[in-house]
Amino acid sequence: MQNLDVISVNLWSILISLANLIILFLIIKKFLYKPVKKMMDARKEAIDEQYRRAKQAENDALLHKKEYEEKLSGAKEEAEQILRRAEQNAKDRERDILGDAKAESERILRRAEENAAMEMKKAEDTIKNEIVDVSAKLSEKILKREISKQDHALLIDDFINGIEGEDYEDRQ
Amino acid sequence: MARSKKFLITDLLYIAGMILPLLAGMVLKILTEPPTSGISIAGARVFFRVKFPIQDLLISEAQINSWLVIVTILFFCLYMAHGLTVECKTRRQRLAEWIVETVDRLVADNMGPYFSGYSAFIISILALSAFSSLLSLLGLFPPTSDINVVAGWAILIFILITHYKLKGGFLNYLKGFTEPIFVMAPLNVLGEIATPVSMAFRHYGNVLSGTVISVLIASALNAASALLIGWIPGVLGDLSLLRIGLPAILSIYFDVFSGCMQAYIFAMLTMLNVSGAVPWEAYEKRKRKKEAKKQTI
Repeated sequence: MQNLDVISVNLWSILISLANLIILFLIIKKFLYKPVKKMMDARKEAIDEQYRRAKQAENDALLHKKEYEEKLSGAKEEAEQILRRAEQNAKDRERDILGDAKAESERILRRAEENAAMEMKKAEDTIKNEIVDVSAKLSEKILKREISKQDHALLIDDFINGIEGEDYEDRQ
Repeated sequence: MARSKKFLITDLLYIAGMILPLLAGMVLKILTEPPTSGISIAGARVFFRVKFPIQDLLISEAQINSWLVIVTILFFCLYMAHGLTVECKTRRQRLAEWIVETVDRLVADNMGPYFSGYSAFIISILALSAFSSLLSLLGLFPPTSDINVVAGWAILIFILITHYKLKGGFLNYLKGFTEPIFVMAPLNVLGEIATPVSMAFRHYGNVLSGTVISVLIASALNAASALLIGWIPGVLGDLSLLRIGLPAILSIYFDVFSGCMQAYIFAMLTMLNVSGAVPWEAYEKRKRKKEAKKQTI
């Protein structure tokens, strides 16, 4: 066994070394570079996927938010409308009730007036009759004679009418 | 995360696959080292000599050590790529991804997107060169201090460079030699050949010179310690006391720093030379012509 010189060129050694580098290149490519790269790419893809999903979720959330806001504002409007309608109803009701009450009261008043007028008339008649009776008795006593009731009534009526007429003229 | 027993056993196997080749190399070195050899500067030891045409095929220390390094790197790769997950949970995977990412970035910066497939090649150049040079830390013969090993790599790179230069067509390749004027042709041819030669000699020379300087310093220290304590009789007088310490510090530079530096430089030159070889204009023209031809057919 001997040593080579420090510088000694050997063709086959060069070729072996060249082949060595190619073999090592294939080894590293197959056993280190490709698996690691594959993992890195897979991770990158997973991260991208996550980002995409997050973005989508955000978009969905925004969309829902908008929808809800629209719904909310719609509900508010509806509530206002209901309130307005209720108010209107109440007002109508009030007016109706007031109108009814007024009519009723007027009717009651009118009837009361009528009743009063009727009573008055009745009382007037009664008083007239009584006056006739009393005056007939008085004049009988005074005149000591019987006046036919018919004549008498005629007489009194004339008299009263005369008074009434004078009263009327006086008042005028 | 609890790992299965099978996983751990595989891990151990891979680690053993990394360490055993190096141990085997050391054992081989110890067994074949002639007992009389002191400090000397010599090339690789030749184990076998096979008759081959042109030249004998030599199975030398450099070749054996190269193969040991390749086996170690193979198991290192298997170990690094073992148990990869998408979540990147282990420190091992983070290191593996750091390696891949760093070299990817290096390739992208120096070579451009057209050569993005070169990352694995650059990793293998870096790993083979650096590990080969670092073998000297174990007392083994570093294959990179054999010119044949580095020349093989340089020739492969020369083939790659020429391949990319031919992308613009053979005539364009020939025309490139006559630029800027026809008289420059011999110089251009020389320059073409100089690229792999300079790459090979730079790497080989740096690693070898480290070994040479280490040997020179070691022998100088031997002589100095013989002068200092040589008068003491017995074993103590033969002890080269001064060799303790200083060579270790020098080894940090010559073995570790220089080895890694040369690997980096070799990879860098590979990237620059290969990526600079493509004649883009001629390549584009040729591609367009080919497409036009395809369309007419």
